[in-house]
Amino acid sequence: MIVGSPLTPLEDLLRSILDWLHGSVGFTWAWSIVALTLMVRLLLVPLMVKQIHSMQNLQRHAPQMKEIQRKYKADKKRQQEELMKFYKENQINPAASCLPMLAQFPVFIALYLVLRKFAKHPPPGDLSWLHGFVPNIAAHASAHWSGYVLLALYVATQLVSTVLMSATMDKAQRTMLLVLPLTFVFFLINFPTGLVLYWVTTNLWTVGQGLITRRLMPKAQAPAKRTSRTAPREEADQDGAVPEPAAAVVQPAQPAQPKRVKRKKKRGGARR
Amino acid sequence: MRYALRAPAYAGLGLVYLYRWTLGVLWGGRCKYHPSCSQYALDALRHYGLVRGTILTGWRLLRCNPWSDGGVDYVESQGIFR
Repeated sequence: MIVGSPLTPLEDLLRSILDWLHGSVGFTWAWSIVALTLMVRLLLVPLMVKQIHSMQNLQRHAPQMKEIQRKYKADKKRQQEELMKFYKENQINPAASCLPMLAQFPVFIALYLVLRKFAKHPPPGDLSWLHGFVPNIAAHASAHWSGYVLLALYVATQLVSTVLMSATMDKAQRTMLLVLPLTFVFFLINFPTGLVLYWVTTNLWTVGQGLITRRLMPKAQAPAKRTSRTAPREEADQDGAVPEPAAAVVQPAQPAQPKRVKRKKKRGGARR
Repeated sequence: MRYALRAPAYAGLGLVYLYRWTLGVLWGGRCKYHPSCSQYALDALRHYGLVRGTILTGWRLLRCNPWSDGGVDYVESQGIFR
């Protein structure tokens, strides 16, 4: 077990939390797994909050970014560089940082190892879930019909979470991500049901998180009112086309504005 | 002989490609830097070999955290090795 040894401390930690959830808190083993999964995801929430903030920030700068994209349409590499420069100047980072993503790997792998060991040597105690819906979470997912229900749930949640999270990706990558869970079923079917339970739980969390993120994300919002930075002419033109509040602030400085405002539609959107 | 000397770097490159084809795809890798961390790793390993390439990549990964601003960052612009 090459991966296992450096992760042993982490594995032990997770295992002792699992034991604590069962022994002291008094959950059944199945609910302990669910609780442990939720705890791990909860720890990652601050990262998500950070991400949402930068996404909101990004949305405020969308018009300027569109401009950059238009300007360097021919040269994709140049376009990417200019965008990155723009991000840095405005301190927005739309993409995730690599470090926290990589930091999640060991945690998830350790969790997997704990659950695998757990399934191999099931401890004494109740191993069923939801009043016998799943008779034994240490058995393979294919051992009982409930395992197939969970697998179906896994695929469904995986697809939904992918759709929610990959809105900004390109088509090919997205299709690939949508096909992957289907192939994973063939592996998961020989995994202990407890692991499938973990996957379903963590996916449901991702879905919930995605829905909340969407709610918090402003939909095609107006940029915040101008700061002291003077806007180049092209941008000023674009400003005329954005919804009311921001436009009202800059109005005096923009003689060309009236002809581009589509009042009725925009007002409705802004007031809601 | 030249290829033999470069073997360690190839091993590193293989690992990065392995990441790209498996977990990278799963995660839908989008990095705040340009080029992305994995591309940076490939460039660094090709130009500087396994040891220095790994150090450069490690440093890049550490910089790629939620408190940095990202941006354009090529291997050529590194300042650790001559």
